[in-house]
Amino acid sequence: MKRHELIVIGAGPAGLSATIEAKKNGMDVVVFDENAKPGGQLFKQIHKFFGSKEHHAKVRGFRIGQELLKEAEDLGVRVELDSTVMGIYENKEVTVKQNGEVHHYKGDYIIIATGAAENMISFKGWNIPGVIGAGAAQTMMNIQGVQPGSKILMVGSGNVGLVVSFQLMQAGCEVVAIIDAAPRVGGYGVHAAKVARTGVPFYLSHTVVEAKGTDHVTGAVIAEVDNHFQPIPGTEKELDVDTICIAVGLSPMSQLASNATCDMALIPQKGGNVALLSEYGETSVSGIYCAGDVAGIEEASSAMIQGRSVASHVCMKGGYLTDEAFAEKYQGFQDALGQLRQGMFAPQNKGRNDFTETDEGYPISKTLLAKGYMTEEELRDFPAASYKKDGVHPVLECTQNIPCNPCQDACNFGCIKVGENITRLPAVDEEKKCTGCGMCVASCSGQAIFLVDETYEDGFAVVTFPYEFLPMPSIGEKGTALDRQGKAVCEAEIIAVKKAPVMDKTAVVTMKVPLEYVNAARFYKPLV
Amino acid sequence: MRKVIRIANTEPFVEWEDDDMIICRCEEITKGEIRRAVYDGMRTTNEVKRYLRSGMGLCQGQTCQRLVQNIIAGELKTKPSELGMIQGRAPVRPVEIGVFSKNVTDVKED
Amino acid sequence: MSEKRTADIIIIGGGIMGCATAYRLAKRGVDVLVLEKKEIGNGGSCRNAGGVRQSARDPKELPLAMYAVQNIWPQLSEELGVDVEYHQGGNLRLGLTDKDIKILENHTAKSVKLGLEVDMISGDKARELCPYMSKEVVAASWCPSDGHANPLKASLGFYRKALQLGVTFVTGIKVEAIEKVKGRIRKVITDDGVYEADKILLCAGYESRKIANTVGIDAPVERQFNEVLVTEAQPKMFDIMLGVAGGEFYGHQSEHGSFVLGGNSGLQAFTSNNDNFVTNSLTAPSISRGIIKYFPILENVKVVRTWSGWYDQCIDVLPVIDNIPEVPGLTVAFGFSGHGFGISPAVSIAVSELMLDGKSTTIDISQLGYDRFKAKS
Repeated sequence: MKRHELIVIGAGPAGLSATIEAKKNGMDVVVFDENAKPGGQLFKQIHKFFGSKEHHAKVRGFRIGQELLKEAEDLGVRVELDSTVMGIYENKEVTVKQNGEVHHYKGDYIIIATGAAENMISFKGWNIPGVIGAGAAQTMMNIQGVQPGSKILMVGSGNVGLVVSFQLMQAGCEVVAIIDAAPRVGGYGVHAAKVARTGVPFYLSHTVVEAKGTDHVTGAVIAEVDNHFQPIPGTEKELDVDTICIAVGLSPMSQLASNATCDMALIPQKGGNVALLSEYGETSVSGIYCAGDVAGIEEASSAMIQGRSVASHVCMKGGYLTDEAFAEKYQGFQDALGQLRQGMFAPQNKGRNDFTETDEGYPISKTLLAKGYMTEEELRDFPAASYKKDGVHPVLECTQNIPCNPCQDACNFGCIKVGENITRLPAVDEEKKCTGCGMCVASCSGQAIFLVDETYEDGFAVVTFPYEFLPMPSIGEKGTALDRQGKAVCEAEIIAVKKAPVMDKTAVVTMKVPLEYVNAARFYKPLV
Repeated sequence: MRKVIRIANTEPFVEWEDDDMIICRCEEITKGEIRRAVYDGMRTTNEVKRYLRSGMGLCQGQTCQRLVQNIIAGELKTKPSELGMIQGRAPVRPVEIGVFSKNVTDVKED
Repeated sequence: MSEKRTADIIIIGGGIMGCATAYRLAKRGVDVLVLEKKEIGNGGSCRNAGGVRQSARDPKELPLAMYAVQNIWPQLSEELGVDVEYHQGGNLRLGLTDKDIKILENHTAKSVKLGLEVDMISGDKARELCPYMSKEVVAASWCPSDGHANPLKASLGFYRKALQLGVTFVTGIKVEAIEKVKGRIRKVITDDGVYEADKILLCAGYESRKIANTVGIDAPVERQFNEVLVTEAQPKMFDIMLGVAGGEFYGHQSEHGSFVLGGNSGLQAFTSNNDNFVTNSLTAPSISRGIIKYFPILENVKVVRTWSGWYDQCIDVLPVIDNIPEVPGLTVAFGFSGHGFGISPAVSIAVSELMLDGKSTTIDISQLGYDRFKAKS
């Protein structure tokens, strides 16, 4: 029987990273993936990632995928595609469907990196065409170039729901509403804010009770829920939509671990059924490991680190790393994971909703959690969001402790500081000069940085904001300035549009607005 | 598997308005059937699966297991983690009999 | 409310034998408690291909099979209030070669001798009964009175009915020993305390021997590994229970439309599996090759899962069903050797009579005693 020192199952972020790490250390490794292309979900991710430089922050997900593939190719890693792992048997034997046959392999070690599957919720009509997973919508838009529908209801306000809503609008769809049964927005406030400022309404404490239609969705009925998540009669509202997109979380795709007789448990914080793992990611079956979402739902950045960490443990056991070399590497991976796994959105805080203030002691915006945007009044509590001075200066509407710091590297003049702990809120150094270059605006993965100049012209101010839609506004064009909830506030004139390769398709657009609207105007809608 | 004492229900079965909602799409099992199975004495995810076929279709429970467990847990007033889980079984993706019949165990030259 | 710790009868093992017997006993007014280590029907009861046949039975257990087929299975769905999907569609055993024909003829002659309606038929006649099979099939044996049912529905259906009649079931509890008190069986020692009863039925499949040993009783029973594959649902093709002379596979199309097909790679008897249910990587391919040989039409049908189970193989491939005189109050029913499902409704009648009346009067089980095992010389 064909045998490899290490068999990796799944060539997504965790699996590819594991394969690369093993190969680098000299181990004989093969990775199987059922898809025709490697990269897992990374190639659907067209938004910029969070984290710090070492986590590929401000790089779009698909580009991280391209970098990972390049690294794998340069190392000559063996990636077997269209290869569906069917089962894991006794003695670490794996069967793989390849070329219409079943091939048997054995591994000294196996890393299961099969990722996750989307959760569904049930409601009347949930099984008619037009009710789709948010991940499916992403595949249609970003891989196949097809709009999933034209008028969409997004169910779920976690990061997936928010990010996919934004992408749906980028693809030209209308997002009619985002709803969530929870009383608070689940994802990052900055993701919610960039959707809200385009005018998408948020309905928290709401659930979908019915998909209308027979052979396809022709509408959705939503209703408010009580404290026990039960719909309150009389609060029903019908929305005119043709697609209902479900983004209510992911479950680890752990069937192979269960099939391999690993000890399993249903752990809600990890998103579902997972294998019980040692601190190094090893299951109860010696030599079988899990890495990435299959080990517990997180995100791609931590999956990549986990993949490398688990593979380095395998390399140590296989004699390719000394105990000391492993210990050093492992500590590095733990530190990198530790940076990501802090703040109010850390995996260990999943399900918690008792945060009322930031690490810095500023009150968390209640409007942001309830409606997806912040009021001017609430922003006043945050120094970086409300500070003023003559001339152009940044305004950082980043008000939750999320692990991210590209803004501090973006400013060549040291104007923005996050510090060692990347979940700290960014602060503005008032002594440093802002040149208005807009690099910070483009670098912010949450699109939460604006440049404001209240002294631009007599009676007029300018607001610079990130813009990722088509058609791109042109200089001299007049349109409507929108506030943080997407309401028209005044007329606006586009006076600058900056695009540069380093900004990676995030245009930095400057609009002129009457001075009295400078604190309200945050987005722009062309006159159609 | 935790200890469970089982005795018959003495209260009559109460139907709910949304009992006709399909939960397991592959096998077309409704919420009412799942609730009824629990009423009939099924106490674990596996027993409900065996009694009704929920999770036995093409997707092998990938889509519905969580939904089914939530309904069972709701009926029993317990947590889904107390209900046991269905065993992952090869092939974890459906594979044609014709493909299965062609298996290669020998080392072949690359 | 304190937990029920005593009963007239304690049944060890919540499989189909335990559930069905609990139902019979409760029907006769007995206070019954069933103890089960895992879930209801988790062993061989839910891990078999659902055969309900009289053909190819040893004459010693044939009375059980005949009684079950003639008197219980046809009305069982109605009796239990659960559709057990019983179909008396007949049993075809197929042959491809001269050697196969010899095997089938031999088997047919034996059955006829026992008074069963079994015939040798031609390949064409077999294709009339089941039009989807390969032209290569040259002969078959045909027993029209055989059939199949759904083991999951039947096991859980008996459980449900027993529950309704007042039986208490405790699952997730492991029996470690049984003990005598003042000369009679009395105590059941578990990992969660002691239970007591006037009489005890031990029907815990392959786990029975270990428990019997704790009270000094033994029978030559060992567990055997067995594997089955299940396909996606297909339109109804036939209602027949299938087997092949060469033994590559057996099974049927379920009411739901899926094919449930068991088989043996030839290596299973010596599987390295210890206590788990992981299938062997070579078995499903082996069964699949067998299927394609006889039913090439199924080539593109998808297998959705494989599963395995252990059954309690007795040295003479027959069950041990008896009152144990050395341990008054103890009754055993195990060693069903992989073909207990079809006779289970009849076994429950025999066992309930053994326990309540001292002997089985309705069905002759006199050949299945616990003391039948003797040295060969």
